[in-house]
This record gives sequence, structure tokens and C-alpha cells, in this order.
Amino acid sequence: MDIQEFDCIALAKEYDSRHPGEILKLALESFDNLAISFSGAEDVVLVDMAVKLKADVQVFSLDTGRLHAETYRLLEQVREHYKLRLEILYPDANALEKLVREKGLFSFYKDTHKECCGIRKVMPLRRKLNTLDAWVTGQRKDQSPDTRAAVPVVEEDAAFSSADHRLIKFNPLSNWSSAQVWQYIRDNDVPFNELHNKGFVSIGCEPCSRAILPNQHEREGRWWWEEATRKECGLHAANLDNDK
Amino acid sequence: MHITMVKKIKHDGSPCRKCAEVEQRLQESGLLNRIDQILIADERDPQSEGMLLAKQHQVELAPFFIVEDEDGSVRIYTVYFRFIKEVLNSQTSAQEEAAEILDNNPDLDFI
Repeated sequence: MDIQEFDCIALAKEYDSRHPGEILKLALESFDNLAISFSGAEDVVLVDMAVKLKADVQVFSLDTGRLHAETYRLLEQVREHYKLRLEILYPDANALEKLVREKGLFSFYKDTHKECCGIRKVMPLRRKLNTLDAWVTGQRKDQSPDTRAAVPVVEEDAAFSSADHRLIKFNPLSNWSSAQVWQYIRDNDVPFNELHNKGFVSIGCEPCSRAILPNQHEREGRWWWEEATRKECGLHAANLDNDK
Repeated sequence: MHITMVKKIKHDGSPCRKCAEVEQRLQESGLLNRIDQILIADERDPQSEGMLLAKQHQVELAPFFIVEDEDGSVRIYTVYFRFIKEVLNSQTSAQEEAAEILDNNPDLDFI
């Protein structure tokens, strides 16, 4: 398919209520140069669905260097279970060494996780996405109380597209709840991260993830020392509409 | 070319952190004098110049830059590193760009 002709807006509307498997099918049939981003958490369901549609689907994971041992074990388990050629991406050594030299190993507790995540996750992710036409994420609307208001099932990736590179992003799990994801995991005997048995819901790097209590929002298990709903850069629409 | 920077004052009257960071980076890199005017989008005042411009150009992020060319065309930049590269022909580091991408796209936290 000519990527310039891919109509994200129309397809997002058409596929919004479809099963994630159908959205993945659309993705895999539309793009050869596509990869699934697998974080080592609940998004393993995407790998399970995708392998059933295309055995040699590209899958990559970001090894930040700070993941839990349980997550590394799951990555290996998934690689073997699905006979995947799982690509592991690493941070730029120079950038990481500079960060640690200047700010230590736990700078995120002092000045937010943005700089550390930028180096350990966003830079390698960007390097990979620059080689792709499309990618698939496990992002869901219910993962964050504030930032997930709009997660279309397919969209032009505004963060990583550039003037000469249009990138399409599929979010097949967007409209699924955590309960639906877990129902799928149980029904299909999908391997999952051992940390889920220890009270972890959202799983990222070891210093920045923790178990949560029943009825706590999963966002409370990540970067809990930062304000969960902080969205400082936004010019709030309510204010913009006040003078109507 | 005429360049306007719009920075934000938050509901509680405090300055927007990112706006201050961007202004400081412009200052330190000697590029602040390339900005013709700096206007305020005060969240407490929908009639403030910056809030009106945000509404006019349908911008929902701060800071942002309005670049008006001699031919009358207008370009809006909400991503600092793109503005720096495309308008001021300057460079930012990959590290700075990554941090800004994350700042502007909090949903990437869960990748």
C-alpha cells in the first residue's frame, strides 16, 4: 500500500469498535514494513494475536537496562514460545554514560523520569521507528486517567513522523479494558510477566514500577512521586472556550 | 519573517515550567534575540493575547511559535526542536529532542 494514501481518520472510525485481531489484520495486510512494540507486560496479547496472523511478524522490545529480572525472563519465554526473532533495542551508550556521570543512577526521583526515559526508551524507539512504515502498540485508553482520552485504533504518528517520513501507528487494544486483556490471556494460555502475580499492573523499569492495591489506578504503580495527571504543557480547551 | 513566542501562565499564576525552560535555552544559545515578540497565554484570562492566538490557531500546547513570512503565510510550531531546526537553522541534541517528544506525548510513558 502507498503509505501516503492510507486514510487513518476514516479507518480509525471504521475500526473503532472492531476486535483487536481485526485491527491487527488490517495492519499486517496494509504494511509489510511493520513491527510490534512489546514491553514485556500485558501487551503480550498483541504478540499472540499477531503470530497467529503472520508467523514471522517483526517484534521489538526496548531494553532500558533497568527492567525487572521477571521481565527479562518473559522476553526470553516469549521468544521461545512463539519462535520469534525478537529484536532487543538498547540505549545509546554515550548518551546514557553522560546522564549517569552527570546525574547518577536515580536522577528520575529528583527531576522527573522524562530525561531518563528519553535516553533509555525514546531515543532507541525513534531510531527503530525511522526504519518502519508502521508500528503497533499496546496502548489502551484506560491506562492513564488523564493522558489517554484519545487513543485512536489507527493514527498518523505525530510524535515520530517527519516531513519526509510518514509513520502509521496502530493501537489495537485501545478500547479494551484490562479485564478484557486478562480474559484473553487466560483463554489463550498466553505467557505473562510473573510480576502480575505480585500485584504489579503496569510494568516498566524496576525503579519506576511498583505493586498497587486493589482499586488503585494502574498509573499509581508508575512514577508515583510525580503528579499523575500533570499535563503542564496543555492550554486547556475549557479556557479557550470560555469566551464563546 | 516575524516570530512570536507564546508562553503560558498557569491557573495558579505560576509560569509554565516548559515555557521557562525553552526561553532559557533560547537565551543560552543566543537565539532569543531572533524572537520578535513574546506574548502571554494566561489561563486565568481567556482574553489574554496568547490565549486568543492559541484559539485562533487551534493550538493546545505551550509554548508555541508563530512564524509569519513575507508572503503572508503563517507557520505554527509546538515542537521546539523542529522550530529551532526549520526556522532558526540551529540544532538540538537527540537527547533534548527525545525529552521533548516525551513531554509532548505522555502516552509514550507506557511503551
